[in-house]
Amino acid sequence: MFGYLLASLAEIVRPAYLLPLSIGTLAGMIGGSLPGVTITMTIILVLPFTFALDPLQGLAAMTGVYVGGSAGGLVTACLLGIPGTPSAIATTFDGFPMARKGEPGRAVWLGTWASVFGGLLGAAFLIGATGPLAAFALEFGPWEYFSLFIFALSMVAGLTEASLLKGLLSGAIGLIVTVIGSDPIMAVPRLTLGTEFLRSGFQFLPVLIGIFAFAQIMTDLERMGGNVAPPRVEAPSLAVSHLSVIREILSRPFLLLWSTLIGVWIGVLPAIGGSAANVMAYDQAKKFSKRPEKFGTGIPEGVIASESSNNANVGGSLVTIMAFGIPGDAVTAVMLGAMIIHGIQPGPLFISQEPRVAYGIFAAYLVAHPVMLVLQWLGARFYLRVVQVPKSVLIPVVLVLCTVGAYALNNIIENVYVLLIFGVLGYLLVKFRFPLAPLILGVILGDQIEVNLVRALMTDADPWLFLTRPLSGGMLLASVASVGLALWQHRRQQRMGAAAQAGAPDTDF
Amino acid sequence: MRRFGLPLVALALVVVVLVAASAGLAAYPDRPVKLIVPWAAGGDTDAIFRPFGPQLQKHLGATIVIANVTGASGTVGAREAKNSPPDGYTVYATHDYIHSTYYTGVSDVSYKDFEPVCTVSATPSVLTASPKTKWTSWQELLGDAKARPGQITVGATLGSTSHFFPALIEKSAGIKLKYVSYEGLAPRMNAILGGHIDLTDSNLTQKGKVDAGQLKFIAIATEKRLPQAPSVPTLKELGVDVVYAVTRGLVVPKGTPADAVAKLETACAKATAEPKFAEDMAKQGTAVRFLDRKAYAEFLKRNDQLNHDLARDLGLLKR
Repeated sequence: MFGYLLASLAEIVRPAYLLPLSIGTLAGMIGGSLPGVTITMTIILVLPFTFALDPLQGLAAMTGVYVGGSAGGLVTACLLGIPGTPSAIATTFDGFPMARKGEPGRAVWLGTWASVFGGLLGAAFLIGATGPLAAFALEFGPWEYFSLFIFALSMVAGLTEASLLKGLLSGAIGLIVTVIGSDPIMAVPRLTLGTEFLRSGFQFLPVLIGIFAFAQIMTDLERMGGNVAPPRVEAPSLAVSHLSVIREILSRPFLLLWSTLIGVWIGVLPAIGGSAANVMAYDQAKKFSKRPEKFGTGIPEGVIASESSNNANVGGSLVTIMAFGIPGDAVTAVMLGAMIIHGIQPGPLFISQEPRVAYGIFAAYLVAHPVMLVLQWLGARFYLRVVQVPKSVLIPVVLVLCTVGAYALNNIIENVYVLLIFGVLGYLLVKFRFPLAPLILGVILGDQIEVNLVRALMTDADPWLFLTRPLSGGMLLASVASVGLALWQHRRQQRMGAAAQAGAPDTDF
Repeated sequence: MRRFGLPLVALALVVVVLVAASAGLAAYPDRPVKLIVPWAAGGDTDAIFRPFGPQLQKHLGATIVIANVTGASGTVGAREAKNSPPDGYTVYATHDYIHSTYYTGVSDVSYKDFEPVCTVSATPSVLTASPKTKWTSWQELLGDAKARPGQITVGATLGSTSHFFPALIEKSAGIKLKYVSYEGLAPRMNAILGGHIDLTDSNLTQKGKVDAGQLKFIAIATEKRLPQAPSVPTLKELGVDVVYAVTRGLVVPKGTPADAVAKLETACAKATAEPKFAEDMAKQGTAVRFLDRKAYAEFLKRNDQLNHDLARDLGLLKR
């Protein structure tokens, strides 16, 4: 097996493969950094160009897009406070405050190096454990999915900021949003007021961009109007000591490993993907931390958890496509389509029948990370320019990109209205100091919880199965524990109050 | 020069727009044609129309832009196509779901909202069983189904083709199955590999999994056995009178000028006759199937009645 892998690595670094891989990675980084342009859209744009290439060249390019996209999202997240892709939501929580405090370089490079380490660790899982991981994922029936998503939802309690009540309300709003529109099973219209517009429901992406991008832009605008000097240091620099950043990450091996595991596992399960993985990893990091109250103020743990998990998630999504030929998410679905167009039949025999392509994808995934690192280094000066662009120019451009992205999602204008509605809602929530993350988590999970609940009951009407199936029951118990822990931390934090402001030691958890 | 750059560009844009507007009178097609695929890139339908797009483009002489308008079991795309201007520049890639989603109340778009252009392909359905089931043949499945009515689970997109195909078998063989909602082939494959459902509708693209012993093809819904899978019996030879394929075709919004429809039809005929297209379709477990607009209209009418009756028999009829 390692013989194959080494041969594939030697092949991938040849210019014929390295070039499409690098172009793909660059395209992914650009697409990932634009709010409103998803990795899926980028990969669909790249797809036609790969028809003329040999299959492995095409797949190398797409793997590059996937890896680059996960990394590109962090730049926008750190510098503008807007997640460039859904998988960078949690990166904004600490990456943006860190950049605001005058350390944009530290934020971006912490994210980048965490992506590289998370990605490479994820690759180790992908290469070493594709078979067992995929087999374990198949054991997940609707009961287990339901309980897993309930567990994910229980993290809402951990993501609340000052007020627990406001956090829970925000999560509830998110869940209600998913109820509006046609129900996911038989398309019965719910809360649609009889209108066509509401019948389609609200797509995730316009909601996300609306909530995060608009809310961020509005607050930026207000600050401009007040003529307050920007809190950024003069002549900001992305220059940073890479060694110290790497040390910051590697001195937290448990955090890195745990976030990577969460990313891989959520990627292996074909349902929610990177958009949930990074939030879950962030919440876990906060739960295990010795200084949970510092999360959200610009500490490295938050950035590391989010970014290592979302790149590892890419490796996880490749597991099911390698093992069974079943796409784990929209991006791998496009890759699967590309394989079929090239006459490669993905399926359980894929690795043994097409070892050159299979190990080529492994190799491309490995090589994409150093390539991304180099491109990020080259691109750093341009990112800086973006931050230096006057807000009066930058904001309209970002707004236009958001709008175009929302439209391009399924090519219908309704999504633009959804963007506007949630932009206003997001702004209001920020004004009234509601946290936004629980709302987004509610939107991500609502549909999946409902669908799997209905599926489970359609398969077997016995509701006790949720508790008696060991995996499912275990996860439900973990959810209760998770809420309990979050409540306890919340209490402790409030009791400690200002005392916590004193310089806490910068340790691993 | 620099100072005049922007106004010059603006002027050029205005000219382009004016020319484009006045060209509305020019012969069809003089600008790109949007092909609405109502499911995501990478899905079955997308995989068929993506190689078809360039062939159609070649014979139509206009750029074909594939737009994946996704959501709500393909009905968002259907509605978008229905509401598009009937000028021949919006073409909608559809299949049998348009009837079933209409009658089950999932969508309010009917095939009557469109003018048929041509059919492109037919993908025969294959009744597929989980590796965790004990049946090795249709007879064993039938016996088990009779012994345990309403216990055997079928994963299906409710109200769509993957629901109607097993329902036809149910009716013809006199058995009772239990349906579980799984939208799309990929989630169904996950569930069936893990044994969370017993049966599902799939097609020959899943042959690799059968060869690896991870899935079982029980029977195929064609008239005769297919050369790609000679060992898979047809439902007909097993005494179940069900022939079922998902037929994909092109339609345009009602009111599209006749000459545009005729040009699309001619281009479609030539595109489906391309050997390269047949080759691409064989990889998808699909046969090229061209019907001209007249034959397609009749096909749609017949199919609509069939779907109406099925929805009624299943107790799903909402209109």
